[in-house]
Amino acid sequence: MTDIALTAGGRTDGAPPSARLAGRAPRRPLTWAWLGLVPFLAFLLLFLLVPAVTVFANALRTEQGFSFSAMAEGITGQNLQAFWFSVQFSAGAAFVGVLLGTLLAYAAATARRPRWLRSAVASFSGVAANMGGLPLAFAFLTLLGRQGVLTKVFSTAGWDLYGGSFTLGSVPGLITVYSYFNIPLMVLITLPAIDGLRPSWREACANLGGTWVTYWRRVGLPVLAPSLFGGFMLLFANSFSAYATAAVLTDNSRIVSRRIGFFLGGDVAIGEDAVGFALAAWMIVVTAACMAVYWVARRRAERWQA
Amino acid sequence: MTRWRARVAAAAPTIVVALAAAYFVAPLLSLARFALQNVPTIRLGWSTLFDNWSLKGITGAFGDASFWAALRLSLQLAVGTVLLTLVLLLPTAIWVHIKLPRARAALEFITVLPYMVPAIALVAGIVFIKPHARWFLNSDLSLIPFYVVLALPFTYRSFDAGLRAIDLRTLVDAARSLGADWRFLLLRVLVPNLRTAIISASFLTAAVVLGEFTLADTLLIESLAPFQRRFVGREPQAGYGLNLLALIATVSLFALVSLLTRKRDRRRRTFAYRAERALVASTPESTS
Repeated sequence: MTDIALTAGGRTDGAPPSARLAGRAPRRPLTWAWLGLVPFLAFLLLFLLVPAVTVFANALRTEQGFSFSAMAEGITGQNLQAFWFSVQFSAGAAFVGVLLGTLLAYAAATARRPRWLRSAVASFSGVAANMGGLPLAFAFLTLLGRQGVLTKVFSTAGWDLYGGSFTLGSVPGLITVYSYFNIPLMVLITLPAIDGLRPSWREACANLGGTWVTYWRRVGLPVLAPSLFGGFMLLFANSFSAYATAAVLTDNSRIVSRRIGFFLGGDVAIGEDAVGFALAAWMIVVTAACMAVYWVARRRAERWQA
Repeated sequence: MTRWRARVAAAAPTIVVALAAAYFVAPLLSLARFALQNVPTIRLGWSTLFDNWSLKGITGAFGDASFWAALRLSLQLAVGTVLLTLVLLLPTAIWVHIKLPRARAALEFITVLPYMVPAIALVAGIVFIKPHARWFLNSDLSLIPFYVVLALPFTYRSFDAGLRAIDLRTLVDAARSLGADWRFLLLRVLVPNLRTAIISASFLTAAVVLGEFTLADTLLIESLAPFQRRFVGREPQAGYGLNLLALIATVSLFALVSLLTRKRDRRRRTFAYRAERALVASTPESTS
């Protein structure tokens, strides 16, 4: 409860007020209370940390001992192509998600009528952001697959969607599908940030002789920037690590996550085991880096969200 | 000119939202068509638009024995994951709020760690460990603890929001000074007050578990999602029907959560929030 009063009172650096107060106080010694966290941390150690460390242990080891060769092989040749492909569509899906998600959030936040629109968009986003997985992939197959309804509509209108190189497993195809959960996720991230833009700032800018462009260039975008950047990172990680949707839309191992599945499925000679783990290790590195950046950006973004 | 611009500015949000709505609804409608109408797309046109609609596609999976087995396993996994989450995570969250408030930020960070390890990478680790822990990992239900981990970011956030919304300090002090022991405090005082948080965390967990594909498929465990995938290959129409049902189930779970939590906006109840609102309302700039 006191949180709000404290946050409303002045600047915040994103940390919960209690933590900030604790930071100012002299360091208290460790108490027995920390023991209460042991069961939970032990559980995480066993079921999250051990598997994750196992991945790295296997990726960095050969019969002769420590070796970086598998990790190196994980980013050469076909594996590199898979990474490049994954980066391409993940960056594309993240970019589209940031752009359209922010636009949708802004539209919902500024629309005067109908009144319920804003909360409807927010609620819907909360649902759709989690709608990945198999059903979504199948839904898009029925819409834009070779036998899809919209494909048929297009061809009736004289445009053969599959005339070029388009498939749902290609970069544009995957972007189209992944936007379905990326856009709502971005709405959830930027709505609070857009709410944080005070009308008084716009008026102050106008009073000082600034135009619409000045406002966005000097005030609006700088305030939104951490949210947009953080959102991009989160959406990138989200698309990069998606597996179930990709499993339906692509039947090859062009995507990193699918390629790991392919190695794990045992379709490959035994000696190449380490490469599968190396791919998984690289994937953890990329995702963890994105999430770390997102975490930092989110703290900066919260500065203007009282 | 200015009037034209003003009109565009006024209509723009509506247009954006309408376009978005079309994008989000279209795949669902086409999935429903494939599930409910048995007309090949080649022959689809104005003349055949109303032919062969039936509920056969929706109910098609119910005649399949392996569907029931998969559904039962998924429900077991969901119930197990919910229970383990409640037993493990709820006391931890309460403990941190009462005894270790300065660990709150750290715990919040720890609970999003599962986002850093993609499911397919996690399962790579599990595949390697499996031969060393067959006594445990050979059971289909061994997925439960991993599902607890996957749902952790959702569940912890839900408990955290619930705990912030109640006046924890006062409740604990009042209960303790009236002679309640810790068990009574937890089960008779805190749990009823955290009802909304517990229910929404459980629904979110169930939704995550029922739709989980990556772990189950890679470990060759026949739960609902892997079955859904293979069933589409075997009987397309009934398969699409099943996926439609799964989608509806997930959406309802998440929608229920959003309904439940909306009524309980934690800030709306606090004095500080109301004071701030009143302050904003009384300043002229907010009337624009």
